[in-house]
Formats: sequence, structure tokens, C-alpha cells
Amino acid sequence: MTLSVSGLNVERKGRVILAPTSLSIAPRARIGLVGASGSGKSTLGHALIDALRAQGVVVAHVPQSPDEALDPLRTMAFHWREAEKALCMGHNPARRKALFSALGIAYGNLTKRPWGWSRGMQQRFVIAMALIGAPALIVLDEPTSALDPVVAADTMDLLDNFLTGQDTAMVLVTHDLGLASRRVERLWVMSEGYLVEEATTEDILTRPTTEAAAKLAAHKSWLTVPC
Amino acid sequence: MIQTMLSLVLRAVVVLVGSALVTFVLLWNAPGDPAMAIAMARFNAVVPAEVVDQVRAEAGLDAGFWPAFKAWIGPLLVGDFGRSSVTGREVWPDLVTAVGYTYPLAFLALFWGLAIALPLAILAASRPGSVLDRVCVAMASTGAAMPAFWLGLLLILLFAVKLAWLPAMGARTASHIVLPALTLALGVAASLTRIIRSGILEARDQNFLPALQRRGVANSAIERDHVAPHAAIPVVTVFGLELAFLLEGLVMVEVIFGRPGLGGFLVNAIDARDFPKVQAVVLLTAIVFVAINFAVDIFYKLLDPRMEDRDA
Repeated sequence: MTLSVSGLNVERKGRVILAPTSLSIAPRARIGLVGASGSGKSTLGHALIDALRAQGVVVAHVPQSPDEALDPLRTMAFHWREAEKALCMGHNPARRKALFSALGIAYGNLTKRPWGWSRGMQQRFVIAMALIGAPALIVLDEPTSALDPVVAADTMDLLDNFLTGQDTAMVLVTHDLGLASRRVERLWVMSEGYLVEEATTEDILTRPTTEAAAKLAAHKSWLTVPC
Repeated sequence: MIQTMLSLVLRAVVVLVGSALVTFVLLWNAPGDPAMAIAMARFNAVVPAEVVDQVRAEAGLDAGFWPAFKAWIGPLLVGDFGRSSVTGREVWPDLVTAVGYTYPLAFLALFWGLAIALPLAILAASRPGSVLDRVCVAMASTGAAMPAFWLGLLLILLFAVKLAWLPAMGARTASHIVLPALTLALGVAASLTRIIRSGILEARDQNFLPALQRRGVANSAIERDHVAPHAAIPVVTVFGLELAFLLEGLVMVEVIFGRPGLGGFLVNAIDARDFPKVQAVVLLTAIVFVAINFAVDIFYKLLDPRMEDRDA
């Protein structure tokens, strides 16, 4: 089922953070939400999540860094259980095992707290947690910018492989076109609160029609970024 | 674990010996002749010089500082608090009696203080910046600035003199504990309210909470599982300090309300230069202090396991 939302908009103190936007996302779609810092990418991501939730759609969110997702005083087991409860699901060790192996998480010490795990593993854990409810959409907000390039590439490969067998669509919020060009087939380009361009990744990289997209595409650094 | 215990015992010994020595030095060098003070307290009159000399010899004051210190601390090491220089009675039973009045008062004050502070702080933190919050903070600041002896007198004026609801002086009945406990509790509540409030606000400001909300975790669960434990960390730290301030306030409040607790015991003993009695109170207080700090340490590590990790 195609997900669609209309009339998303965010204003703060009379300033437009996000101009009215309508979106639709096909099942299994891989979309990159790109734009310069402050262009409203994350805001659109959050608004999209809230709007879909209101429709009763299961949507998962992965923030930039595991520090923003995990409580340092609580064990990994606690976080997992809490995520299950939030989805009104019972505890299912088999599901956890499947997700762990899909994302290459060594069946580590779940009684440890986040700081007892490496950052890469923490982030994989957060992604695995997001996938518990077999969401219709997973929104990843710069999911690899806090990881080193090799770990980041591995993590994205594993997620890619896992999603290939699922109906889950993905929205990857990033300012990194290199990452986007390898991972998504469509791009949404944001500029100053407006969704200015929407097309296939290839079209935007080779034939951008707006200034914002052209600027992003002109930054050739994306060609050399390893992930 | 063994290392932790050893370092704890070592710290305790340093604190105890240090406080014993400092008190002894202070008493020894206080203005006036200690033997004269003891003799005057004993006979309740001005006494001739021969009697003072006799007292000096009896109390071991003629031998000089170090022998006197050794004579006192020696029996103490095997748990003997010695005898009062004034009455000749054993210090230990009198001390136990005094403690029996003081510690219930301390615990009640602490308990009431917490019982007042916790709801007030939660109320204030529920809407930071609101009128309610400002009223709570203003009340707490006023309370913290108010000295116990003044607050105690105000409470006596209101509840004992004007309304005649509660007794003011002594400790004959259970109701006698209400006013002194309230005096101390209000002071405790004043500082705890501010600490708990800011603890809650800081805990609510943590960067991982929005992600938990987006994950669908209920607000009540976030408050219980993620805000409360973080908010408790600074509160536990301050709670230990609070107990220290409480011990200090106790002496004054007990004297104001004429309670026969440690406060009166200590004041009388200092007046009479009754070294064994003063030292007993100081030592007991130091032991309680060390014990409280130890308990806070352990509790701290339970609350925040990151501490344990850093120690190791």
C-alpha cells in the first residue's frame, strides 16, 4: 500500500520551517531526503513520521547518533523490551535473534549498558530495534554520520540486504549525496523549508532542474566518499 | 571489592583520628583553665586552688597534651568512652540516652522534609516558569535563607503560644517532637525542593528522550524509567550533605526546644570542659558521617553504574 500524506507544514513563531508539502511513498521505495544544513530535512522527516502515525501506520525512526536513542543508565535488554512494549508486542527472543543476525550484531551482552558496546554496534542495535514492528516505513536521520566510514558502509549494506526481503520503505535523511547516490533510487531535495525537487537519483545528479539540486550535485566530493 | 573496603576503612580511620585530634587541640587551647572549669562544674561553686589542682591530676591534665590525649584515646580504641570528668559517671549510657532523643528527631525531620519537598518539586517542575513554579521556588529560597533558631521561635509563637495546639519545651510526650521536627524539616525541604526540581528539569532535557517518544514509549514510562533515575543522582549527592547540615541544625533546635538530646549534652559538656563527653559526641558524629558517606557512595553506584566502571 502506498503511503501518502498531504498538507504537512511547520511554523515556529511565525517563521516557516516547512512549507505545505504532500508526499507519497511506494512500498519498498528507497528515498533520499537531501539538502543543506538547516534546509528542513529533519523537520520534514519528523512531520512525516507524525502524520503517518496519526493514520495508524507503523513508522520507525533512527536518530543520528546512538547517544540520542539510548539511555546510558538502562541495559540493552531493557531498551529492547521497552521498544517491544511500545509496539504492544510480547517478548520474542527468536525475532530478536533474527534481527541481530540480519544486522550483524554479535549476540552480545544484553545486560550491559550502551557504553559497554561499541558505537557501531549501538547504532546497529538502534536500527534493529526500529525494525521490531516490521514498519511500513523507516526514517533514518543521518544514521551513519557518527560512525567511521568502514563501519558506516557495513551497517548500510546490512540494512540494505535486510530491507530487500521486506515491504518496508526507507527514507534516508542526509546531506551526503555520496551516501544517497549509492543507497536510494529517488531523491527529495529540500531548500529553505521547501521541497524543491523530486526525481530519480540519477536525474538529479546529472540533470538537476533547480538551483538547490544543482548546488548539491555540483559538489563532486560525493563521488569519493566511501559509503 | 576488598580494595574498596580497605580504602573505606582507611578513610574512616583518618577521619576519626583527625576529628578526635582537632577537637582535643581546640578544647585544650580554649581560653581559661580546663581544670578550673571542670571543678566549677563539679561543685557548682568557686573552688580553692588545691581542689583545682586535685581535679587537674584526676583528669590527667597535668601530664601535658600528648599523655592526656593518649590516656583518653587508648581506652577508646577498645570501645571504652571513659568517664565524665565532672560527674565521674560513665559517658556511654548518658550518650545513648541523648542519642535516643536526637536520632528519632533527625529521621523524622528528614522524612518530613522529603515528604514536603518531593511533591512540591514535582509540582514546580511540571510547568517550569509558571506562577506555580515561581511560588515553589520563592518558598524554597525563603525557607533556605531562614535560620533554624528564628523559624523555631516563630513556630513556637504560632503553634504553642497563640494556638496552643502543641507543646513547645521538653520531650515528655510524643507530641513534643512535632515542633522541633517541623523546624528542621522545613529547612531540609527548602534545599531539597530546589535540588529535586532542577534534577527533574535536567533529566527531562536529555537528548535521547525525543527518540524514545518517537519510538512510541508512553510518557509515564519515560518519566518513571528514564527521567526519575537520572533526576535521583544529584538528589542522592545532596541528601548526604543535607544530613550533615541537619546534624548542625539539631544542636541549635534541641537547645531552643529544651530537648535533652545530643545538643544539650554537647553544649553542657563544652561549658564544663568535660573532654570525654565532648569527644564522645564528636566521635559519634564523625562515625555517622563516614557511614552516611559510605551509604551515599554505594547508592550512587547502584543508581549510576558508569561510576563503577570508572573506578575499575
